[in-house]
Amino acid sequence: MSQFNRRHFLGAGFILGASSLFGKENPKKIITDSKEFVPPQIAFPQKKPLKTISDRPPLLESPRDIFTQAITPNDQFFVRWHMPDIPTYIDLKEFRLEVKGSVETPLSLSVDDLKAKFEPVEITSVLQCGGNSRKYYAASGQATHGVQWDHGAMGCAVWKGVRLKDLLERAGVKGSAKWVGVNGLEKPAMDATPKFFREMNIDEALSGELIVAYEMNGEDLPYLNGFPLRLVIPGHFSDSWVKMLSEITVFDEYQNSFFMDVAYTVPDNDCECVVSGSDFEYKRKPIAVMKVKSVIGYPTPGTVIKKGSRVKVTGIAFDQGKGIKEVMISIDGGKHWSATQLEKDYGKYAYRQWTYQWEPKTKGEYTIMVRAINRIGNIQPLAHEIGWNAGGYQYNAVDAVSVKIV
Amino acid sequence: MKKTVLFAAFALATALCAQVDKPIEMPYVDYPIVKGDHDEVVQQYCLICHSWGYVLNQGKKSRPYWTGTVQKMVNEFKAPIGKEDQQIIINYLVKHYGYESKTAEH
Repeated sequence: MSQFNRRHFLGAGFILGASSLFGKENPKKIITDSKEFVPPQIAFPQKKPLKTISDRPPLLESPRDIFTQAITPNDQFFVRWHMPDIPTYIDLKEFRLEVKGSVETPLSLSVDDLKAKFEPVEITSVLQCGGNSRKYYAASGQATHGVQWDHGAMGCAVWKGVRLKDLLERAGVKGSAKWVGVNGLEKPAMDATPKFFREMNIDEALSGELIVAYEMNGEDLPYLNGFPLRLVIPGHFSDSWVKMLSEITVFDEYQNSFFMDVAYTVPDNDCECVVSGSDFEYKRKPIAVMKVKSVIGYPTPGTVIKKGSRVKVTGIAFDQGKGIKEVMISIDGGKHWSATQLEKDYGKYAYRQWTYQWEPKTKGEYTIMVRAINRIGNIQPLAHEIGWNAGGYQYNAVDAVSVKIV
Repeated sequence: MKKTVLFAAFALATALCAQVDKPIEMPYVDYPIVKGDHDEVVQQYCLICHSWGYVLNQGKKSRPYWTGTVQKMVNEFKAPIGKEDQQIIINYLVKHYGYESKTAEH
């Protein structure tokens, strides 16, 4: 037992995995839970009722039919905080964004300063939690740790703000600077708990694509999406899109931290994967750019459709910013594939909506699947092919929805 | 009359723009918690940092899983839980939100 305790502090993965590797026990038997808890639908401030996985910290998931739209409305946009202590009021007269550390002139900026003293820029970009769709790892292998999100921990919005590069250049980054740390106003319940803190290479911070956003879809950021400021990193998972952004600190040296070195990491190898069921005993690297992915918005699972109906099957696809080339669809569980129609292009970091006209002629059960490929040839893996990692990050396998034709 | 209408319109516009000019009120969710087996100890510690939704969201898990999770809370998130109370929490979670698995008894 003590050996187990020492090696497997983050869970049972190794032992479960070992049993499945040696064929002693079917892993699905172990992970199946017949009485799944269904979280309540609750309206939080500025939000429509959303699936409330947790109220403290708030974890709110968007419904699947949100993926029938290329732009996600603010009041249905998912919410994911890490810490329980979130300010419930921010006085914009008092609020300041600090730019400090290894800079010539530290800055202390109000939101009005950002709006008045820097060039505004706008970008349409997907925001996706690194653990989005995590629950589907359990369908093809071992369940993973972490919040068992369905597909609803992502959205796409038009973000408006100022370039991070412009802020850093105004402050004057010193020649010795190598890293940029970011954090917001959320706080842990206890001082000893690691604070939410993220870090990026100085070159990435100066790339010109990152923005400090004060608007989302033409409005102030909703409170729970990070009012008044949040970092936007197009093409990247949302772990570093810090909400209620209050400090940008330039460092000469990398700062070790729980949220960079332990959380939000994947195996540091080419496939970013390990044998299903392994524990966290692998060399890690932080998750970063997103992977090509598509999701079905309509129909939703279990939809009953009358034979002969004209069904507009639709959903969204996106990638790390190379651009979607094609989204293929199958209505027979993957035996035959056809092309879908790609709709309006909102930019390389945005959702690309796809549609497919389907007129089911025979009664029965159908499994609809979609598979996206991007302009550099990245293609979604099938569910049984996806590389597994213990944290359950970066799930991007082919989506499947079963419907009934009557 | 006209003045009143204008004022009303102005008040409405202000309310819409200044979305958070007063503190937001976060809903409290009363997630169901199984009573007994020292649930008060479990609640005392687990609910310092997160709601019971975090536990429910995991589904039923094995003893090694819950052991690992409690240890993660202690080692990584610095939850101030003594050894004895850790064991109470693990036993409670396995009994009510998990299962004993043969593979765990190494």
